[in-house]
Amino acid sequence: MASRTSWIMSKIRLGWIFLAVGVVIALVGVLFETRFSDLAYNYRIITGLGILFIGIGIGYVVRYRSALKDEQSARRLSVEERDERTVMMRARAGNRAYWVSAALIYIGLMWASFAANGDLPDLAGNTLWFFLAGCVLIPFGVYVASLLVDERNF
Amino acid sequence: MKNRLEELRSRNGWTQQELADRVEVSRQTIISLESGRYNPSILLAFRLARMFQMQIEDLFIYSEEDYDG
Repeated sequence: MASRTSWIMSKIRLGWIFLAVGVVIALVGVLFETRFSDLAYNYRIITGLGILFIGIGIGYVVRYRSALKDEQSARRLSVEERDERTVMMRARAGNRAYWVSAALIYIGLMWASFAANGDLPDLAGNTLWFFLAGCVLIPFGVYVASLLVDERNF
Repeated sequence: MKNRLEELRSRNGWTQQELADRVEVSRQTIISLESGRYNPSILLAFRLARMFQMQIEDLFIYSEEDYDG
């Protein structure tokens, strides 16, 4: 019981940290947009990231504060997140996603090295954008697919 | 690894959800344990054994073929 309460408190603290970091990032985005609007950069990406963090933070705080007041939902949340089979599947998924991510970054690095020698075309503009987007989305896709596969296997 | 979870749970008249609540895991974990697809951690194995008031080796039946290391 005490360990569950301290676990919930740590989640609430994490929520506040997300919220604070989100506010700072969003403010930096807004500040840059007003101060350096002449630069060719879309500062809304920074503001958007800040808003995302704020949303995650609010979600954490609301979810876990309500769990503090209700023993049943605290128990359910604890089982949902700390169930050892689920934790094991998440760890496996994270490991697979990590290796895919490392492989993509290695490919990018090799490409950039060869491009510097003129052996390969430069990764620039849209190609670079799509490659970087792939570096984010493909590992995420591997993570989700791994969870689905393990859900059937275990 | 084979185990006697389903047999002992039924003998006690517990549902999978009830056993899951008692040892604080998900119902899906109990289903996977009973079907032998998932092997528990040593801590969960102890909790389950204590729940049925028996030794771990009486609940989980280990054979050399289970070890795939």
